[in-house]
Amino acid sequence: MASHRVGETGLSDSGPSNHHVPYSLFHGINAPSTSFINQEGSAFDFGELEEAIVLQGVKIRNDEAKAPLFTGRPAATLEMFPSWPTRFQTTPRGSSKSGGESTDSGSAVNTLSSKADQAQLEPESPISKKASSSDHQAFDQKHLKLQQQQIHQEMATGPSHNQSSVKAPQEKRKGAGSTSEKQLDAKTLRRLAQNREAARKSRLRKKAYVQQLESSRIKLTQLEQDLQRARAQGLFLGGCVGAGSNLSPGAAIFDMEYARWLEDDHRLMSELRTGLHAHLSDGDLRLIIDGYVSHYDEIFQLKVVAAKSDVFHLYTGMWITPAERCFMWIGGFRPSELIKMLIGQLDPLTEQQVIGIYNLQHTSTQAEEALSQGLEQLQQALVDTIAGVPIVDGMQQMAVALSKLANLEGFVRQADNLRQQTLHQLRRILTVRQAARCFLVIGEYYGRLRALSSLWASRPRESMMSEDNSCQTTTELQIVQQHSQNHFSSY
Amino acid sequence: MHYQTEAWGSYMPTRSTTMGDPLERIERMASENAVVIFSMSTCCMCHAIKRLFCGMGVNPTVYELDEDPRGKDMEKALMRLLGSSSAVPVVFIGGKLVGAMDRVMASHINGTLVPLLKEAGALWL
Repeated sequence: MASHRVGETGLSDSGPSNHHVPYSLFHGINAPSTSFINQEGSAFDFGELEEAIVLQGVKIRNDEAKAPLFTGRPAATLEMFPSWPTRFQTTPRGSSKSGGESTDSGSAVNTLSSKADQAQLEPESPISKKASSSDHQAFDQKHLKLQQQQIHQEMATGPSHNQSSVKAPQEKRKGAGSTSEKQLDAKTLRRLAQNREAARKSRLRKKAYVQQLESSRIKLTQLEQDLQRARAQGLFLGGCVGAGSNLSPGAAIFDMEYARWLEDDHRLMSELRTGLHAHLSDGDLRLIIDGYVSHYDEIFQLKVVAAKSDVFHLYTGMWITPAERCFMWIGGFRPSELIKMLIGQLDPLTEQQVIGIYNLQHTSTQAEEALSQGLEQLQQALVDTIAGVPIVDGMQQMAVALSKLANLEGFVRQADNLRQQTLHQLRRILTVRQAARCFLVIGEYYGRLRALSSLWASRPRESMMSEDNSCQTTTELQIVQQHSQNHFSSY
Repeated sequence: MHYQTEAWGSYMPTRSTTMGDPLERIERMASENAVVIFSMSTCCMCHAIKRLFCGMGVNPTVYELDEDPRGKDMEKALMRLLGSSSAVPVVFIGGKLVGAMDRVMASHINGTLVPLLKEAGALWL
């Protein structure tokens, strides 16, 4: 009779029923889990199991213990794939409560009893839907089917389950239940079969997904390793505009660090903006501003390192956008130009502050002049060295030229030093709120310059198609509108 | 700006023979004038610092170490004094060490250089 039932449900992986097998299975409950695992491949009598589960249903209803059916299974894999039936899968709450592989007969599946589990029911499982709404007795019945389903499915597909899944039938046997097998009619059996199929499919899908995840993880770690190696060799080009494969390692590294610095800049600027508009206390605002000044100190420090490894990259301005490059002075912004830009936007200023700002403009101009003249002398010396007749031999001439060229690093460093000192002096002259506005203005200004560069780069070349200038203007306006979201939304 | 030609002893009343210590010599030379710059004729950064002071209207005293017979020792002493690998340019104002180019520029930007120069009598107005 039992085997007949099994045939009806169409359980494909049930072999000829062996009466001794289920017994040994149940017997194995008290043995270590390995004994169960050894037997999982073998066929067993589902009918026996069903009976056991039906009886178990009563125990579940009566038993208020909250241990889940599948204790000991790693919760992570289950939770990751929240398919039906979650009711019977280990919940975080449940798994934390499970005491492990103890042979405690009370630790059967009774997550059903808890309301929290009911809340986790998957809509796709028809039985669980019905279960929540059916009457008490039918509810038990469905419980049993679900449980039975799960147990069948787990045993059929063969992953290593813990013993409690097998415990249940044994519990069932032990506990004298009042429910009879008469409740398992044809309709129920059909539903059982459908659920089994669905559960099996989910199980397979979950396996595939897990495998995919694992392989992706391995790929990811490999990629990270490759990235580290390439970075060390300087082959990674980063996100810089127009980067060719001719970047030196130092330049590539600096470009990456500069890109990160720009992201930080954007973030700090919004912090500054919200701080200003929120009318923070001076103390709080001061913290933000000092943080922003340190942020600038950071890029100057990075440039010191970069100048050592690739001064040309800094000096030729390949690390900044073309529009910024137009106004570049010895590898960066010209301090006096920045002050000039700021003068109109810092109002209101006290008389003392006005004097301070104009002094700053004056001294920075003088320093710039001095450095520019020193650089001019360097260039002249280089020209003389290279253009002159080689005194001893060409190699010596080159060696002399090289040693002169090495001074370029010093000039870039001094220019950066001047830029840094200018910003610090600005901070000293201005009040906290004025300084906040000042740094916002500076950040926005360079942001717009960068935006100008990308707008310019992406403008369509209409000149070949039409002579009409107005058409060109329209197109440019369109580009601006197009880009306005990206570039100007923060202003 | 005038270049000190201490090496040409014939115009000097005495050339002190106890000047074995280059550092002492440096200090002595530095205290003789309001603004003293130790430089080298081929150094471009030295040129820049000279232009900076001239641009401010200061008349510094310049010692070209590559034209001084004891220049090498003084160069080493300056390197030790500054703790850096490049000895020049170095600036003394009122006999006190100000530093190399970065210090000089920083003090100019933060407004401490001009008072120092005025105090040493190198600047008027």
